[in-house]
Amino acid sequence: MNEGSEMTHTPVSSSVAEAAAIRGPSAWRRLWSDWGTRLCIVAIALYTLTALYGEVVYRYYKGSLWEGAPAALTWAPDRTPPYNELHMESRYVPPLTRVEWPAHVLADGTAVPARTHRYWLGSDNLGRDVLQRLVQGARIAFHVGIMTSLIAIPLGVLLGCLGGYFGGKVDSFVVWLCATVSAMPGLLFILAIALIAGKGLFGIYLGIGLTTWVSVCRNIRAETLKHRDRAYVQAARVLGYSHLRILFRHILPNVMHIVLISFSIRFPASVATEVFISFLGIGVQGEPSWGIMINNARARLWQGIWWELTFVSLAIFLLVLIFNRLADALRDVFDPALRNR
Amino acid sequence: MAVQQSNPFGKGDPRIISLKEPVAPTLKGARPPVEPPPLLKVEDLNTWFPIRKGIFARTVGYVKAVNGVSFTMQAGETLGVVGESGCGKSTLSRTILRLEKAHGGSVRFEGKDVFALRGKELQQYRRDMQVVFQDPHATLNPRHSVLDILTEGMLVHGLIKPAEAQDVAAQLLLDVGLQPDAMFRYPHAFSGGQRQRICIARALALKPKMIICDEAVSALDLSIRAQVLNLLMELKAKYGLAYLFITHDIGVVEHIADNIIVMFKGEIVERGPAEQVLLHPKEPYTQRLIAAVPRVGA
Repeated sequence: MNEGSEMTHTPVSSSVAEAAAIRGPSAWRRLWSDWGTRLCIVAIALYTLTALYGEVVYRYYKGSLWEGAPAALTWAPDRTPPYNELHMESRYVPPLTRVEWPAHVLADGTAVPARTHRYWLGSDNLGRDVLQRLVQGARIAFHVGIMTSLIAIPLGVLLGCLGGYFGGKVDSFVVWLCATVSAMPGLLFILAIALIAGKGLFGIYLGIGLTTWVSVCRNIRAETLKHRDRAYVQAARVLGYSHLRILFRHILPNVMHIVLISFSIRFPASVATEVFISFLGIGVQGEPSWGIMINNARARLWQGIWWELTFVSLAIFLLVLIFNRLADALRDVFDPALRNR
Repeated sequence: MAVQQSNPFGKGDPRIISLKEPVAPTLKGARPPVEPPPLLKVEDLNTWFPIRKGIFARTVGYVKAVNGVSFTMQAGETLGVVGESGCGKSTLSRTILRLEKAHGGSVRFEGKDVFALRGKELQQYRRDMQVVFQDPHATLNPRHSVLDILTEGMLVHGLIKPAEAQDVAAQLLLDVGLQPDAMFRYPHAFSGGQRQRICIARALALKPKMIICDEAVSALDLSIRAQVLNLLMELKAKYGLAYLFITHDIGVVEHIADNIIVMFKGEIVERGPAEQVLLHPKEPYTQRLIAAVPRVGA
């Protein structure tokens, strides 16, 4: 009927490829095209590789891939992990120094051959290698960053979505919960949870995860609230879609950029919190974390032992910086208003 | 044989008989004795928004957005609702669509109370009653392709199988005067007029009996507006749709409406067949609205 009437026939040019061209370059392309962001991505990749390397080293010296692994995956390394090796003869060695350890016989009769070792980043008060401890610290930092994000972000997204979309009593409850959790001094709350859960990493995950979902939740709720009254959601309701479908298929993809951004903000923030908790002495046990290293180094800074504190601080500083820089870039890329069309 | 017997012309070419049949007087004659329930019957509808004050959110009064509105619509009718911004005409449509809670009164669709619908009956109402909103930029989810937008409703209501989606979407796009390959694109690749066509196609997808056009052409510029109005009229002729056409611009409805309702401050101030309201308006408010339409050479 109206194929014949020329006036109502609005031509739309063909090909799917062209449609992609009109849609603009993908988010990844736009991120990669900025050299500063590219640098951040590369740096994050390097940090991740470092953390992975640290994990491999840790597992190797632990003797098995996981606790209670089958015999095939268990081995018996007969040495303390290098990052925990004490060398009292080479304490406080400045960076780049090469030392020679003479051959000696241990108390149980094992002969240790002579070795040379270069302390690229110096040694600490017990002759432990700062570089190796720094790598192990990166491992802990990634554990904490990822685990706490995995607790905080799903919790925040779910509560934020429900509160923002349904409003009314549900929303009142979500807002009340947010207000209650954020009214408590954060660190005190983390310490309380960490103490209940026991010393160690699990307490830290739980403590940081259960306090930091609030900001994610607030952001998601505000964004959902904005989308709830948009005409496309109204149209979806008129089309008879269920609330869950509207919430998760229509609204959530439109607020997903907040999830990504809040991950990149949460990650360094939880690392910083872990550093502080470990500094207070209720965090990581028996392994080097950045917080433990700072706590350790702080006492000797006045003696001129600057390297341990400097390199650890630098590692934290860079991690926080690149993640925040990336968060900023992500925000720009995902903000439809800033997207070049 | 039965056809030939009932043929009032008696003998003759059977082709002529079959041509005459659709306009047989029996169809029109059947109407008056059995009065079918009107497609839509709105009775004394009130949509009031509470004004809350104080820490206990006490209700101190109401904004009466829609106040005591009654009208009926027959199948295939186009009813224009005209009034200035803020007169409650959009709230009226949102109440009929169950997007706002009514404070009182009733809406009956094919005799059924719309506010009491649950489950299956509500889903059926959702299929029968569709809407085209004003802003074609906000009504399409920017992250869904046109194919998704057009077919999701039919899939949800189980009208088609996923394998048929592309064929159905292509037909819908042709129906509204777009090329079928538009289905692979995303809403922001289209102009305002094209998007409004997509919105219309989405509404048509569920084969509704009635479409509410809430300022559907107000955001479009004049030449596109005429095209979209023509499209709506073509679709009405093709599918026997009823339109509730809401607009602040009386010039838009004068070509298409069978009947017109004029609303002012939440109440109906004038109603009647389109010619009567437009040519002989009784209320001074209607006269002012008509005088406000710019005319060439006026």
